[in-house]
Amino acid sequence: MSEKKDIAKAEEKNIEKTRELKSAIPAVDIYENDNEIMLHADMPGVVKEDVSVSIDNGTLSLSGVRRLQSKGASKWEEFGDVEYVRSFSVPQSIDVEKVEAKLKDGVLKLHLPKSEAAKPKQIKINAA
Amino acid sequence: MFARMSDIDRMFGAMDLLRNKMDRLFGDFDRSFDYGSGLTFKTSVPGTNLYEDGDNFEIRAEVPGIAKDDLNIKIQGNYLEISGSRGADTPEGYKIHRAERGASTFSRSFTLPDDVDADKVEATLKDGILYLTLPKSEAAKPKQITIG
Repeated sequence: MSEKKDIAKAEEKNIEKTRELKSAIPAVDIYENDNEIMLHADMPGVVKEDVSVSIDNGTLSLSGVRRLQSKGASKWEEFGDVEYVRSFSVPQSIDVEKVEAKLKDGVLKLHLPKSEAAKPKQIKINAA
Repeated sequence: MFARMSDIDRMFGAMDLLRNKMDRLFGDFDRSFDYGSGLTFKTSVPGTNLYEDGDNFEIRAEVPGIAKDDLNIKIQGNYLEISGSRGADTPEGYKIHRAERGASTFSRSFTLPDDVDADKVEATLKDGILYLTLPKSEAAKPKQITIG
């Protein structure tokens, strides 16, 4: 009996959490034009509430957790619960305040507008 | 002795973490080959799951970014075929930095463990996952036998 208590205690003492969701890297497309950078990431089965996007110190981090409802006995399973994680460095020229994110049909679409100062300017040449 | 079980458990937990990290590392490595050029027409198949509960089968397939009009489902007896295509959604006037998702067409066929009633199959598309509920045909349904 005393041995059993020991097990429980050791479990409680574990501050670090070692078991975590399997992580996966979502496939992304990145586009850029003069006004913005656009990022599309495949995250099938992830709902809006489980997505987090953060920009900190020039690093854009994406995270999306997929939790599937299990149903009956599985005959085969090629995908399961997973956390999609990926991070990118973003240039300083991104206007962090105006970043927009949309999730539709399992695709996360991010718009990262460039700040006014970073947009290309056409310089007029004056006759001397 | 038993007190150490949790330590062993922790050790395995740590190994799981390491495996996750390695998976990601190799994932990155593979990607550099698979998606090298943004112009390749990639063919890949979506991952699927098959569940069975009594009267129904349920197939789930990962189809991110595919509209429901671009998916085709064919059923005959216990043969099921899912095909579809994803058009390139490259926006006009943008430079491409990375194109891993790409346009693709796929076709995947399955032999289900039992015949299904093709008329009662229901398909829903939600958050990039296709859910197909396939009721078994009458002959394949489980029967309750009462002991006389």
